[in-house]
Amino acid sequence: MPEFDLQFTVLLLSNGVMIGLMYALIALGFVLIYKATDVINFAQGEFVMFAGFIAAGAAAAFGGSFWIAAALAIAGMVALGFALERVVLRPLIGQPVIAVVMATIGLAAVLRGGAVLAFGAGTQAINMPVSDSPVYLGPLMLSPVQLVGAGVSIVFLAGFSWFFLKSRVGIAMRAVADSQQVAMAMGINVRRYFAFAWAMAGVVSALGGIVWGAMLGVDNQLALVGLKVFPVVILGGLDSILGAVVGGLIVGIVENLAAGYFDPLVGGGTKDFAPYVLMIIVLMVRPEGIFGRRRIERV
Amino acid sequence: MFHRESGVFKTSYAADMALFPLPIAKWAVAAFAGLFIAAAPLLLSVYYLSLLNLCLIAIVGALGLNILLGYTGQISIGQGAFMSVGAYTAANLIVRLHMPFWITIPAGGAMAALIGIIVGIPSLRIKGIYLAIATLAAQLIIEWMINHVEWISGGVQASIEIPRPAIFGHSITSEAGIYLFLMFFAVLAIVATLNLVRSRIGRAFIAIRDQDIAAEIIGINIFKYKLYAFAISSFYAGVAGVLESYYLGIANYEQFQLDVSIDYLAMVIIGGLGSVLGSIFGAVFVTLLPIVTRWGLQLVGSLFLSQGNLNNMIPNLRLVIFGGLIILFLIAEPDGLARLWRNIRNYFRLWPFSY
Amino acid sequence: MTSISGRVLTLAMGATLGVAASSSAFAEDKQIVDGVMCDRTGPTQIVGTVLCPAMHDYFNLINSQGGIDGYKIVAPEIDMAYKVPPAVEAYEQFKQQGAVIMTTYGTPQTHALNERIEQDKIPTTTPGFGIAAAADGEHYPYLFPIAASYFSQGAAAVDFAKKQLGGSLKGKKIAYIYYDNPAGKEPLPVVEALQKIEGFELKTFAVPPPGVELSAQALDIAQRYRADFVLAQLFGRAPSVAIKEFKRIGYPLSHVLGFVWGAAEPDIEAAGGWGVAQGYNALEFAGAGDDYPVRHEIEAMYKKEGKTPPAEMKSTVYYNRGLLQAAVQVQALRNAMKANGGKPPTGAEVKAGLEQIKDFSLGGLLPPLQVTAADHEGGGWVRVFTVKGNGFTPSTDWFHAYRDVVMKTVKEAEKVE
Repeated sequence: MPEFDLQFTVLLLSNGVMIGLMYALIALGFVLIYKATDVINFAQGEFVMFAGFIAAGAAAAFGGSFWIAAALAIAGMVALGFALERVVLRPLIGQPVIAVVMATIGLAAVLRGGAVLAFGAGTQAINMPVSDSPVYLGPLMLSPVQLVGAGVSIVFLAGFSWFFLKSRVGIAMRAVADSQQVAMAMGINVRRYFAFAWAMAGVVSALGGIVWGAMLGVDNQLALVGLKVFPVVILGGLDSILGAVVGGLIVGIVENLAAGYFDPLVGGGTKDFAPYVLMIIVLMVRPEGIFGRRRIERV
Repeated sequence: MFHRESGVFKTSYAADMALFPLPIAKWAVAAFAGLFIAAAPLLLSVYYLSLLNLCLIAIVGALGLNILLGYTGQISIGQGAFMSVGAYTAANLIVRLHMPFWITIPAGGAMAALIGIIVGIPSLRIKGIYLAIATLAAQLIIEWMINHVEWISGGVQASIEIPRPAIFGHSITSEAGIYLFLMFFAVLAIVATLNLVRSRIGRAFIAIRDQDIAAEIIGINIFKYKLYAFAISSFYAGVAGVLESYYLGIANYEQFQLDVSIDYLAMVIIGGLGSVLGSIFGAVFVTLLPIVTRWGLQLVGSLFLSQGNLNNMIPNLRLVIFGGLIILFLIAEPDGLARLWRNIRNYFRLWPFSY
Repeated sequence: MTSISGRVLTLAMGATLGVAASSSAFAEDKQIVDGVMCDRTGPTQIVGTVLCPAMHDYFNLINSQGGIDGYKIVAPEIDMAYKVPPAVEAYEQFKQQGAVIMTTYGTPQTHALNERIEQDKIPTTTPGFGIAAAADGEHYPYLFPIAASYFSQGAAAVDFAKKQLGGSLKGKKIAYIYYDNPAGKEPLPVVEALQKIEGFELKTFAVPPPGVELSAQALDIAQRYRADFVLAQLFGRAPSVAIKEFKRIGYPLSHVLGFVWGAAEPDIEAAGGWGVAQGYNALEFAGAGDDYPVRHEIEAMYKKEGKTPPAEMKSTVYYNRGLLQAAVQVQALRNAMKANGGKPPTGAEVKAGLEQIKDFSLGGLLPPLQVTAADHEGGGWVRVFTVKGNGFTPSTDWFHAYRDVVMKTVKEAEKVE
């Protein structure tokens, strides 16, 4: 085991927390859709990528203004969310879960190809109006872009938690997710709330796209961060917003610690698969995750 | 009028449950066999044979996934990883022990089956989408292990070159030769699957898919049969992996990554879950789709766009068409190409009468 | 649903048959076919979308100047998305179209096509990637790296580090950060061999694909291991992410050397621009920048047709590599036709033509390439360019290093293959 270096470990942990919150932002979109419509969205990464493209393209078209780009990205993704729900998801209501999963996989391919056709193949940059040089906080070195990302993450996570707990619309969505038929019987317009859910996921994806795009640059490889969503939501619970945060933090920290301490032992590469090993353990022991609800199946 | 069922009488249970109960079915299969096995290698050019070869390999893999997903209802995103396990097992046996193909192919399949059983163990506790995600994790973990464990991967390159299979000392080098070689295994896989689903094990699989809790109550040990399903399906995948390595002349895990697993899922779903014919259709469709769309776009596009623009557009349009077709099939015909085929066949059963 | 699906199926069948019938290319006279397999999509699209247009531009230039002894070069292109089965299918398609020389991209693809190439006797160029041992032309007769292989790049990188660290590496710490796939690991045997010779400390850091996040590795290199010099063999998005990370944690980019596929304008731009990447060193096997006669010729060709030169030309690193590949291929074709008296060459003749390339440097764009039957690499030349101001400026002239170590590693690698 390589020697334990306190300062290095602290840096790793802080890195892990920051990245974890950014993963949580992506996972939030996934959780929103699942919580409200019971759909497993395999295209979450592609949503984030597409949003990033819209933001980068808008920034380029309007002379580099970040705020216009952000606004357009959010608006664009809301529109996309509404459109997708209408065209792709509504016809598939009632189909087995594998069909919907495959539909989102197909959607992922369409978005990947479509983004390049619409926006070009080169990597584009999103320039946030924050400085590039790190912020020093004691022994910690924090990147301003990541700080913004983490901040956005926390704000929206808190916001959505409140939304689902207290607001009328949020409670209605939870009712719809619980049982569509009963919700309809109570007079809730299920279709409208499905559309809302996808639109909200669009907003979150837009935020994720802007932040990740600013951090990494936007091109169609950005979609690959979407794969990280699965360990995060399995750990946290597929339908729990708080779970998305906690899951994200755990995955971020585990990744960094693995890279720092396991990699030298086994020759590298554990960073990406350590969260998956953790995920399998959780699946065996407590499949619904830390904060998820236990599903009771009836014959 | 063509697909006549009247006038056919069975006098024993065995005859009724036979593989091809109708004479017309026997003739159709014979005609296909003649066409594909005898005529194709003689008439088609090397290029078209190579396309068919890719389809044959895909058919074996798709049949495997269909057994797991279509007949037993367990979602698996790990098909690519099982193929790579089979491929590397065979490659190591060939390179280290000089084993011939009639040992390496079953051995590759067996090793993949073993790994499949291990991956299937979580199915005791989890199902549906959680199982799918667990298989996704398995795909990534197996990839990592092959990349890093040099004993398996044969070195830093993680590529093992293997010579063409040899029958009685003659190495198969022509495209037609490899075609017949692959065809043999594809036919074997098809016949085996057809028989599997009509057997006791197959019926247990279907019971698990339809109502697993009820199946358990009537005495089917669902954990045992789920493991069987994983094992058999991974065996097919392992064999497909070995065949692909023989065909390409190289075993390399980068050929068996997540996108391959997703391709196989697409094959089985577009083809039609729970149908052998569906797997065949799906495999051919997904394998040839990129090639056909490229031809089509090349043809149509060259009328409008410069070659340079076209080159940039075609691959991305292809992705869009691939995804779009998946979605279209799921919306319009969720039971896949097999259902389409059945509709056409039903139409011809009564033709020229309409009802 | 029957009617809709029935109609769709009939339409699809009709379209497929119609298209299939017209797909086979017809060999016309006075044509030489060069099959181009390109990665327009996939993890390496950043390269393919610039390199392939460059090749087409060069072929168009040659054709506009009368072709090769009156023969037009036809270069059909197929996208592989960095996967192997499409590469094999593309190879067969090109073969059917009568290709006498092939262009491919990617190490796994090179491995997969190797046997076919040898059997069908169609020479294939693989500059800067592929099987490093293919430098040995006697063992791999039809594979032509025609540019520094990963082994040579590793050797040259160590040599550059040595010069940057004051002429001696004894006791110094070198970090080798690499993309965790076979191509990323390929330079390792040479670097490890040189470790014993030069006496430096070596630690490797793997970056798993897709390599969009490597802060932990960068932290380790900078804070814990405290490397004196970093060799970065990364692909795709990873190089730009690495530049950003090293900048973020304050590690001097002048002590970082990116290998040939982490060394281009898109990487700098994705990292945030030239300002961020000041001092970053990049290993190149073709010249970077705009100041070469052949580029001006291509620009003139476009202007004559009344079009503006394409945007791809601005990405000079990858564009010039495309030019290198196309130019070497054309030269080989010329040599082949000179040898066989002006007839359309066969694959074997083109192979011989490639092996006659001597002192071919295309106005300084290329190193003094010398390809022989024994050395398909052409000498393993590289040049280091550094980010200064708003572009790449050359920091060294063309050099190659430790040829004996490289050749020894090649021979050892062959034993394994």
